[in-house]
Amino acid sequence: MLGFALGAMLAFASGSADAQTEKLRVSIIPINDVTPLFSAIKLGYFAEEGLEIDTAPSAGGAVGIPGLVAGSYDIAYGNVVSMLLAAQQGIDIRVIAPGTKLEKIEDDYSAMVARSDSGIATGKDLEGKNVGVNTRNNVIWLYARAWIKASGGDPDKVTFREVPHPQMEDALRQKQIDAGFMVIPFVALATAKPEFKAIAHPYSAVQLGVDVGQYLTTTKFLTDRPQTAAKFLRALRRGIEWYNANRGTPPLLEIVSGFTKIEVDLLKKVPMASSPLRVDPAQIEITMKLMMDHKLLRAPIDAKPLIFQQAL
Amino acid sequence: MTAAQIISRSRSGAASGSVLTAALRFARRLRGILLIAVLLALWEASARLGWVNSSNWPPVSGVALAFVKGWGSGELLTLTASTLRRMALGYALGCAVGIALGALLGIDRWARYVLKPLIEVLRPIPAPAIVPILILFLGVDDLLKVVVVALACFFPVFLNTLSGIAGVDAVLLETARTFRISRLRTLTRVILPAATPTIAAGMRIAIGIALVVTVISEMIAGSAGLGYHIIQMQYAMRPEPMYAAIVSLAVTGYLLNRGFVALERRWVPWIGR
Repeated sequence: MLGFALGAMLAFASGSADAQTEKLRVSIIPINDVTPLFSAIKLGYFAEEGLEIDTAPSAGGAVGIPGLVAGSYDIAYGNVVSMLLAAQQGIDIRVIAPGTKLEKIEDDYSAMVARSDSGIATGKDLEGKNVGVNTRNNVIWLYARAWIKASGGDPDKVTFREVPHPQMEDALRQKQIDAGFMVIPFVALATAKPEFKAIAHPYSAVQLGVDVGQYLTTTKFLTDRPQTAAKFLRALRRGIEWYNANRGTPPLLEIVSGFTKIEVDLLKKVPMASSPLRVDPAQIEITMKLMMDHKLLRAPIDAKPLIFQQAL
Repeated sequence: MTAAQIISRSRSGAASGSVLTAALRFARRLRGILLIAVLLALWEASARLGWVNSSNWPPVSGVALAFVKGWGSGELLTLTASTLRRMALGYALGCAVGIALGALLGIDRWARYVLKPLIEVLRPIPAPAIVPILILFLGVDDLLKVVVVALACFFPVFLNTLSGIAGVDAVLLETARTFRISRLRTLTRVILPAATPTIAAGMRIAIGIALVVTVISEMIAGSAGLGYHIIQMQYAMRPEPMYAAIVSLAVTGYLLNRGFVALERRWVPWIGR
């Protein structure tokens, strides 16, 4: 009996130690959006699937898709606009898992922020003015333009200036820009000051339900390693569920602080939106149409075949 | 007045003169230090008194504290070491290729005709601009950064090697020819030693470039090193450690240059100073 137990233990030990632990290299941006991934790592969900996740942070996120194509990463977190732009360029890109989605208005914290005394309230008021976005021709730029159009302005009459997220507040204060599209955590700290106010929440105002970000991979990965893809998705979904149930709790803040290096005290002031369990092709198609409206895409792309079946 | 008296008086005059120049030199140095001190005090005041209203502008005392903490905990040491390792690899590669190609083109007319136009076309491309293209071929890991740094270091070393060789005294070359010394031996024993001061100058320019380019490539495509740390701290809204990393970079750059000059004095004693 003892021998059997010992044997079983040995088998288990060797099984969990060397057996098929597969390593996956995942490119991430150190922002709250990837907290479910880090939660799943921390809680051992990936390990239970026999996966070891090696996260490679890149601050701007500019290297995610190029790194994927070059084979440096197996999976990369990216936004929907970058994904569709890559697909248009003929890059062999696929969506493997859901990332960020705005399902409820009250979950949309990112905002168009202006100086409180500026009198700016709509897109019409921004004509002839300067608007700060982190990168031109990308997701934030697109939704800033779409909101300006939806609120009566002509986005072509607005000058978009590239301002990195951490500098957006300074640029507003120094009047280098008249409004800035700010994201978490910067928006929470800026709008807590009386000198600034959120004039709109472009994502939810333009497209409530928007699938902002996804985990991306290549067709090659999905065809060569379908089992691994399924394991990744399964473990990540458990991470998402845990994240949704534990938002704002100390253990979760600890995890966020661990990979963003933001201090926990500061994180307490930062709201966190819920995370989706599925990728929503209908929403990706709405984004695609917006991209065509604003001349980011030349021709429509069929989004559904780009998505890993099990992620739907 | 005897001759001895005159000599002793002039000696004491010289002595007091040298004390005076030393004092003057010290005062001049002090002026430089004073300027830095005043600027730092202004920095501190502007942050403390709210002259500059920005969460990205911490008081300099906070930066100093973060600097001490960062080095004390070993974090900044690890980051600096990882940046220096990438830099050293790229620098060594760039210098080796720069000297080899510079020497080849310097002594061989045909190599010059074939390769010079290509090198001249590539030269104006700033190294950080080719990072996105290089990612496709080299991935995003250390190899990418090492190659980008090597490329940036290559040009000053190559050009200085070339011009150093072109400037070698013709008499030296003719003497070598008269003694029927082989081409290879002429290169290693006559040409390269004569060109070394110029090559060393190129290498010194390259060392400054190497540090800058390493940090930039870490900022664009990094997961480690000082460059990545600076960006990460900026996004984490922790300006004190960010500036502490920048100060560490400045100190590293300064020490690298001083170290290079010291090595140059030791190993290239015939360098003109």
